[in-house]
Amino acid sequence: MPSTVALSLTDVRVRYGDRFAVDGVSLDVRRGEIVGLLGPNGSGKSTTLAVAAGVLDAAEGTVTVEGISRATDPTGFAMRVGFVPQECALYEELSAAENLSFFGKLYGLSGADLRRRVIRVLGRVRLQEHAEQRVDTFSGGMKQRLNLAVALIHDPSLLLLDEPTAALDPASRDALFADLTRLRDDGHAVVLSTHHLDEAELGCDRIAVLDRGKLVACGPPAELLRCYAKDRQVLYGHLRVRPPRFLHKALQKRFGTRIELEITGRRLRLSAPTNEDLGMALATLLAEGIELETYRTPAGTLERTLHCGTSEEEPVGQSGRVGDTERGR
Amino acid sequence: MRYATLMLTLAAKDWRLFWADRRAAVMCFVVPVLLASAFGMVFNRPTTNAATTRLPMLVVIEDDGPFTAQVAAELLSSLKTDAKVATRAEAEAALPDRHPAIAVVLPKGFERLKDWQPGNTSERPEVQILHHPAAGTERQWAEGVVTEVVMRRLARSKLDGFMGTQAEAAFATPFQVNATAVSTGGDAKFNSYSHSFCGMTLQYLLFWGMESGLLFLRERQRGVWKRTRAAPVSLGCVLAGKALATAAIAMLQVLVTFGFGYLMFGVSVTGSFIGFVLLALAACGLAAATGLLVAAIGGTEARARSVSILVILGISMIGGLWLPTFLLPEWVRDTALSLPTSWAMRGLGGVTWEGLGLRAVLPNVAMVTAFAAVFLAIAVLRLKSDERRLRQGNV
Repeated sequence: MPSTVALSLTDVRVRYGDRFAVDGVSLDVRRGEIVGLLGPNGSGKSTTLAVAAGVLDAAEGTVTVEGISRATDPTGFAMRVGFVPQECALYEELSAAENLSFFGKLYGLSGADLRRRVIRVLGRVRLQEHAEQRVDTFSGGMKQRLNLAVALIHDPSLLLLDEPTAALDPASRDALFADLTRLRDDGHAVVLSTHHLDEAELGCDRIAVLDRGKLVACGPPAELLRCYAKDRQVLYGHLRVRPPRFLHKALQKRFGTRIELEITGRRLRLSAPTNEDLGMALATLLAEGIELETYRTPAGTLERTLHCGTSEEEPVGQSGRVGDTERGR
Repeated sequence: MRYATLMLTLAAKDWRLFWADRRAAVMCFVVPVLLASAFGMVFNRPTTNAATTRLPMLVVIEDDGPFTAQVAAELLSSLKTDAKVATRAEAEAALPDRHPAIAVVLPKGFERLKDWQPGNTSERPEVQILHHPAAGTERQWAEGVVTEVVMRRLARSKLDGFMGTQAEAAFATPFQVNATAVSTGGDAKFNSYSHSFCGMTLQYLLFWGMESGLLFLRERQRGVWKRTRAAPVSLGCVLAGKALATAAIAMLQVLVTFGFGYLMFGVSVTGSFIGFVLLALAACGLAAATGLLVAAIGGTEARARSVSILVILGISMIGGLWLPTFLLPEWVRDTALSLPTSWAMRGLGGVTWEGLGLRAVLPNVAMVTAFAAVFLAIAVLRLKSDERRLRQGNV
């Protein structure tokens, strides 16, 4: 597997008005790895991806893709990057094949080569039977797969995905991560942003934690866990239907403040100091009428990492450089 | 080469997007055709035989003298009027609805007019003309007809004894009227359909330009714009592709509208065909430039739409796209010279019904092209500045 650095960010700063949205971020991403940018809203994840994709200029610092800077060779830079914006970046009035052909032509592809690539990437995201179907008839998961396929049409070495799982159900999310894993195994470098800890923990080879524009921790999930893990157990779940009201009150009545419950849409995160508390809290919620479609309880959790890393405490493994992360492996 | 290929790729994408919503696309062609046909029908007046156009009016006879009866009879039988007898109450009920808009009242005491002597200005009986508030032109027309009829009847009554049996012939109009329409194109005949098809085509070219600009505005707020900006394609190329697609669809609109006008109403190019093609190209360029301008300075889609509609309707009206400019006040006609619609309309009118040659409409072509170039320059500068600010994070 090639181990060359696909993306290199060196002391990158991006200014929005009088504040830095990205403040001195340095990060190397190699071919054949998936790096997750993790952080709360406004931490600079999307801005970092936009700079890496070349749609935003860094006020300071350098961005290179396979050693090529956008300032010196904008076409060469763009040809090496596949960008998947957070929104559905497709023409919904056109078919899947028309979208792929259009964006392929923007990257200089044409004729038989373009047709071959269209078929190949459609097959890669399991949409070959929907090639001539209009995108506005697709489900959310199909759109996200096509969104990914469009970014792959010119076979870039670096793939950037901004919150790719934001609107996906658990099955589509798992399918997307399976696709990304295959791409990594094929030698692509993949960088994605997320604010879901479980995704970052389970789907990424390395995690870069951002807070207020700064890179506060970076390393493999296991390494970060070793540095930060505390005895707090977490369960991630996906609800089948909207949850009943007053769940928090029911938990608080029984467990006081020991149990934390967060529900965002149909995503659920439950954390407790012990496994026993976690089980009892889950039983309470089930008794209150919640219906879980899926759930998982990771062996360790980055929960603590994010809390620790985004505080003022001195983080460990802060640099995103390849050499630094190697030390922890 | 790559630039041209990319531009064609971008234009082809917009062409496909336009046809993706078939019904909306078809309406783009149907609406101007329908409006042009309706305007043409409403303003259609045969010019070959002026006598066929008569003034509809009511005649209210309140005096029962023989002289009054003769005047009334002549008004009723005049070739210039389509007159009917009515009571004052009937006339007052009909006028507000313009059924018809004019009523001539020969009131009590009108009979005294038969004793009128030349030079007597002290005792003049009254003729009342009742009219709809908006029927000023018809009022003057009616006044002229009544004056002619009364003066002829008076002259006849005074001179009857001298002229004997030759009186009828003696009081016929002593001259013939030969009305000829004069234009720079020679043997020109005004055709309301030519005017309405030119006007509505131009107006809907601008509306299409606006719609294209709004589509671009929407596109720039979607994820596809980020993806396009990440691709190896310059902003200039994207704008060129957008302008090319807009102009191509505008040209199709011209072909469809004028094609329909030709087949159904005989709208044709009686002047320079090359002049017509150049004017159509310039107008399509104007539509494309208007689209980019809307996208560049429109701000939000809702704001851009409302302001654009207001501006397009305004410059269409003042520019003579709805009604011929000679019906508008002089200051409006002067103002219209600063609008591209006015130049385009005069040019198209010139090559269609006025029969003008290429040389005569070249200034119109040049002015419309100049307006398009200015709009385009403003739009490109603004969009490039926006892109620069966006890249630097100054949103």
